[in-house]
Amino acid sequence: MAANFWSSSHYKNLLDQEDVDMVNPLDKEKGVTLEDFKLIKFHMANYILKLAQQVKIRQRVVATAITYMRRVYTRKSMVEYDPRLVAPSCLYLASKSEESTLQARLLVFYIKKLYADDKYRCEIKDILEMEMKILEALNFYLVVFHPYRSLSQLLQDAGLNDLNMTQVTWGIVNDTYKMDLILVHPPHLIALACIYIASVLREKDTTVWFEELHVDMNVVKNISMEILDFYENNRMFTEDRVNAALQKLALRP
Amino acid sequence: MGDGSSNRTNSNSNKPEWLQQYDLIGKIGEGTYGLVFLARIKSQANRGKSIAIKKFKQSKDGDGVSPTAIREIMLLREITHENVVKLVNVHINHTDMSLYLAFDYAEHDLYEIIRHHRDKVNHSINQYTVKSLLWQLLNGLNYLHSNWIIHRDLKPSNILVMGDGEEHGVVKIADFGLARIYQAPLKPLSENGVVVTIWYRAPELLLGAKHYTSAVDMWAVGCIFAELLTLKPLFQGAEVKGTPNPFQLDQLDKIFKVLGHPTLDKWPSLANLPHWQQDVQHIQGHKYDNTSLCNVVHLSPKSPAYDLLSKMLEYDPRKRITAAQALEHEYFKMEPQPGRNTLVPCQPGETFVNYPTRPVDTTTDFEGTANLQPPLPVSSGAGSMPGGHGSNRAVPRPMNVVGMQRMPHQPMQAYNLASQAGMGPGMNPGGIPMQRGVPQAHQQQQLRRKDQMGMPGYPPQQKSRRI
Repeated sequence: MAANFWSSSHYKNLLDQEDVDMVNPLDKEKGVTLEDFKLIKFHMANYILKLAQQVKIRQRVVATAITYMRRVYTRKSMVEYDPRLVAPSCLYLASKSEESTLQARLLVFYIKKLYADDKYRCEIKDILEMEMKILEALNFYLVVFHPYRSLSQLLQDAGLNDLNMTQVTWGIVNDTYKMDLILVHPPHLIALACIYIASVLREKDTTVWFEELHVDMNVVKNISMEILDFYENNRMFTEDRVNAALQKLALRP
Repeated sequence: MGDGSSNRTNSNSNKPEWLQQYDLIGKIGEGTYGLVFLARIKSQANRGKSIAIKKFKQSKDGDGVSPTAIREIMLLREITHENVVKLVNVHINHTDMSLYLAFDYAEHDLYEIIRHHRDKVNHSINQYTVKSLLWQLLNGLNYLHSNWIIHRDLKPSNILVMGDGEEHGVVKIADFGLARIYQAPLKPLSENGVVVTIWYRAPELLLGAKHYTSAVDMWAVGCIFAELLTLKPLFQGAEVKGTPNPFQLDQLDKIFKVLGHPTLDKWPSLANLPHWQQDVQHIQGHKYDNTSLCNVVHLSPKSPAYDLLSKMLEYDPRKRITAAQALEHEYFKMEPQPGRNTLVPCQPGETFVNYPTRPVDTTTDFEGTANLQPPLPVSSGAGSMPGGHGSNRAVPRPMNVVGMQRMPHQPMQAYNLASQAGMGPGMNPGGIPMQRGVPQAHQQQQLRRKDQMGMPGYPPQQKSRRI
């Protein structure tokens, strides 16, 4: 259901990590590794965010767009669905499903502004065609739940809703979209993991509060570890490596 | 849902592959969003099952898939309830960038049922049917509201009723193009440039309330309840078109005339509503007599039906009865009790009505242009009915105009067999959201209607009802 996570398509379609980490055979043929795969999705999440900042659209739309993009690549290959077109098209579709409709021509304009590289160039028509292909690839499931919704409530409940904690936690939640967490874990657990990390960072004692929550702390801690691992590794995600990975997609077999 | 192969075409025809799983029967409606078609499934599993296919117009100005279609798909993909229309498939035709939603087909809707009683049968809808329709409408709405969905455009034409089949007489709420999940902030309808009928619009919206609550749907249900009782729209205001301002003086005037002047006493938050506050048109100063709702709907003020109706038409949205509360109301506990098949009461001696089936324009193809395809075998029932054959005999008109003319009605026996043979007895006609659009001369098509009014005698086995 649209408002109850446990009966939603989002919950029913959560995936195991190993399914998310399956590189499509067509991409594999081109030599795309799991590392490349993650790198490209990371880069495209950043691309969506950059575009969104240009057109000034809410964070929730960005989060939904990135989720769409990640969902698309659990079913479709990057060879057939060029990430450089999928990313802005996901933002375009998400702007409609989140009730903040953007104009395609505006996106086309800002894409040109952001990237001089011809490979990013697209026409309005390309975005509209891709929008339909994305709808289909998503199997028409468009409702996405995000950690943001439970975040402020949880922070308040934990007595951590001061400005600083809120900002730190919010920032960590934003960063989780640079990974595939939203495809694997229920959003409230992602929110809890972010609170957990923030409280450790800010040296707040939340042990008792977490104990009283009736959630599987092992899952929360595992998500936290994944996020910390990501912070550890993402320094290696350089533009050169992204370009090299994208290059592989264009190679002739 | 959907199919990855929608672009491919068969060598025998130009139809996209997905379309070949259906036999297209014809057009059954059109609105601002596009067209609605009736089709039947060809595949072995559900052969003959009726499907309504809503085709969204391609956008002309480079806007891609319409936000209305996105909203409708988004919500319908998440919800399942007996009293909500079922989306069975979504199809995309990549070649011309058009989008199709396939629903279970419903033969009837409240607009047609009310109109049939008003214009043809000349007697009111029996109590059992009114109560059952209302109960199921509330049941579906309670499901939506408890899942934080507001419909926002409830009106008789959006409330469908299933025809012959396993779900005969079951109510289906349709047309979710304006529906919203209301945890997200909702823009006023006018801000989205959306036009909806004002007759069912709650007073707080007319007075410029910024936020929607589920109470707006309950107001609409109240209006529909009254219309089921009297066969006339309760508040038939004349709409001022083309204004972004939600304030509709005539509509408010119609409401106040029946329900009396709203007071701050009864409705404290009234003071905060922009158009009440500003009072540019001096509605505050109007004096309305103490007219009474019970006279308008011909109900005793002491009857449970009246009590329920007046609670739905409560001015203050915060005091207005909710769908959940309404389902528990005494009205539904007394005889006749509501049933699953709203159209066929089980009490012996009750009169009931055979409602006409939807007119189908069999000359239109999926492009919406007339084509001269010979009548399909399945539609020959309708085609062979006396007086229904030949374009010169058909009444050219858009199907969705109030007071439209019908085919002169024929004795049922004369063609019912033929039409039923065409439909196939065990099948399950389903439903579609239909919008009554503005008629345009060029849209007028040959329409055929099997008019089966006033015929008593459903087969006995259909008289049983389950709930």
